[in-house]
Amino acid sequence: MKILVVVSQTQDTEAKIKVSSSGDSVDTGGMKWIMNPYDEFAVEEAIQTKEKHGGEVVIVSMGPARVVETIRQALAMGADSAIHIADDSFADIDSFAVGKVIASEIKKSGEFDIIFTGMKIIDEESGQVGVQIAEELGIPHVSLVSKVVEIDPAAKKAVCQKEIDGGHMVVEVQLPCLITCPDAMNEPRYASLPGIMKAKKKPLKEVPVADIGLEEIGLTADSLGKAGARVKTVEIKVPEIQRKLKIIKGQDEPMVKGAEVESAAEELVKLLREEAKVI
Amino acid sequence: MSSEIWVVADLKIDGSIRQVTFEALSEAKARLAAKFGGPVCGVLLGANVSSLAGELGKYGAEKVYVVENETLKDFNTEGYTIALSELIKKHQPAVVITGNTVFGQDYFPGVAARVGAGVTMDAIEVDATDDKKLQIKRFSHSSKAIPTKLFLDHYPMMTTVRPNSFKAVEDPKTPEVINEAVTIDPGDIKTKVIEIKAKESDRPELTEADRVGSGGRGLGSEENFKHVYELADILGAAVGATRAAVDAGYCPYDMQVGQTGKAVSPNLYIAIAISGSVQHFAGMGSSKVIVAINKDPEAPIFQKCDYGIVGDLFDVLPPFTARVKSLLSQS
Ligand SMILES: Cc1cc2nc3c(=O)[nH]c(=O)nc-3n(C[C@H](O)[C@H](O)[C@H](O)COP(=O)(O)OP(=O)(O)OC[C@H]3O[C@@H](n4cnc5c(N)ncnc54)[C@H](O)[C@@H]3O)c2cc1C
Ligand SMILES: Cc1cc2nc3c(=O)[nH]c(=O)nc-3n(C[C@H](O)[C@H](O)[C@H](O)COP(=O)(O)OP(=O)(O)OC[C@H]3O[C@@H](n4cnc5c(N)ncnc54)[C@H](O)[C@@H]3O)c2cc1C
Repeated sequence: MKILVVVSQTQDTEAKIKVSSSGDSVDTGGMKWIMNPYDEFAVEEAIQTKEKHGGEVVIVSMGPARVVETIRQALAMGADSAIHIADDSFADIDSFAVGKVIASEIKKSGEFDIIFTGMKIIDEESGQVGVQIAEELGIPHVSLVSKVVEIDPAAKKAVCQKEIDGGHMVVEVQLPCLITCPDAMNEPRYASLPGIMKAKKKPLKEVPVADIGLEEIGLTADSLGKAGARVKTVEIKVPEIQRKLKIIKGQDEPMVKGAEVESAAEELVKLLREEAKVI
Repeated sequence: MSSEIWVVADLKIDGSIRQVTFEALSEAKARLAAKFGGPVCGVLLGANVSSLAGELGKYGAEKVYVVENETLKDFNTEGYTIALSELIKKHQPAVVITGNTVFGQDYFPGVAARVGAGVTMDAIEVDATDDKKLQIKRFSHSSKAIPTKLFLDHYPMMTTVRPNSFKAVEDPKTPEVINEAVTIDPGDIKTKVIEIKAKESDRPELTEADRVGSGGRGLGSEENFKHVYELADILGAAVGATRAAVDAGYCPYDMQVGQTGKAVSPNLYIAIAISGSVQHFAGMGSSKVIVAINKDPEAPIFQKCDYGIVGDLFDVLPPFTARVKSLLSQS
């Protein structure tokens, strides 16, 4: 099988978020760039699929030079080769253009059976690029798959389970298809030392913007930047919610114990009724 | 482009309309109708859905477009994508909105790509500029930041909206019902639903609930989760969980609250034996009042809650639950 994984790099959102001086973006100075955590699940699912059915795993990623590090990480986990759509000047690119460009490079790379993407990127958090790639390619997708139940390459179909609001659903989908991955569908492996060594030698194809053929896919160099976007960020705020922080503790040690338990429970109920007015 | 603002109804597995649909209708009316100078319209996609038009009218829909089609009986991606795309191409609404449910997330980005629209996901505020451009607010960066997104020159302007972000306000209208026939070629349906199961539960749904009680890894077992259910039932609350609790098998995946799981913003969120990770807070950090019960005074959640008790849940929860019960039974 030919298995593709669309992998992105993201800012590590565990860190404190600061707004840049322009007021319409997040200050990335000093922020760590990591493989998008959801994409780790996508890479793992792809490698497991290859281990079961044979074939190859190809990573596709778009972004500036720094994303090569993330691509190498995916190769070290066990992917076979990668395509890097490279340009440093697209910080204002919108999701639509990202999906379109990635889909067009996928088309050029030949036949494939299945594509895995993350459910969303944790910095921008749009959660739309995966579905848009499927639409551009004219293939079916199943989003937010909690479990790939079965892939049958001979019959050209896959069975996936997804959790829906108030229940769950099992979907049979024809291959080729695209699957978007939430967390917890598998346990992403760490790259082993030999894996990291091998990754350095695996094929990585660079596609500069000039080679994309923007006009053929209805874009212009302009439409990749802020000027041609469909949606742009005009302001970004980092709200500080002031919490009351009224924490009831024990006398001798932090934990309430013995008789303190009853009075703590009573005090909390009172606060919720009289101060917060929520019960 | 017409001046219509569309709200596509979000249907539950049992075929009834999800609350977020009414919230979106009300908000569209309040924030967008005057700016665009057009009516707020409902859209119903499904099988045997015509009878629901009146309910959309109750919340201000002046027109309801209905596509009745057997292939739309259960939600399926391609059927919905085809039906909505065809309607949009024919009528050219200015704005198209639906709920950011699992279904909305599944087909809205695809429809936008198909009709050449701009789209944003999971808006918590919707508004428009004087020159009729949609402008929304949403969360980003694990819900730590709130960007304002402005739509540029592409129509329609599409967005999903987060459930429980707006008030549903009744504004009864008798909507004009417009039946639209859309042909859906069975050959175009490449995803087939082979099983769809609703969870039997009398509890409110997480994303719609006014109060939520949630349990974390510290509960220790599926059996122990009964403490959370008991408190929740007394409060009429929905029950949530952390990923660690779901991973450990204490409760099913659809109870997960957080960056991956459900986004909730109830008036009251009670976090029991939950450490307070960034990813969990991404799904509940905008709750009005957050209460924590945790035995570790250093747990990060104590830095970002309103009220808390440092204590063992097995000591604290029973007397707390008992007191809540007696208080609520008096009033
Ligand atoms: C500060 C900053 C600087 C940026 N600079 C550049 C730049 O110089 N050049 C550039 O091309 N882009 C750049 N981007 C865009 C960025 O790489 C993402 O493509 C974009 O943020 C997509 O966001 P989204 O919320 O739409 O993705 P989502 O829809 O939430 O992503 C869903 C899934 O789509 C896939 N995906 C999304 N984006 C990509 C991608 N770029 N490559 C591979 N898979 C992807 C992943 O599988 C991901 O899990 C920048 C973004 C930021 C925030
Ligand atoms: C990509 C990605 C997505 C994720 N998405 C989500 C998500 O959607 N939702 C989510 O929740 N997590 C998510 N996570 C996981 C998240 O990082 C945390 O691991 C998780 O939230 C921790 O859950 P917890 O608080 O139950 O467990 P822990 O962090 O282990 O905390 C358990 C707490 O229970 C307390 N405790 C133990 N025993 C008792 C007792 N007897 N009485 C009182 N207190 C007790 C402990 O002091 C501790 O604070 C995600 C992670 C990743 C990488």
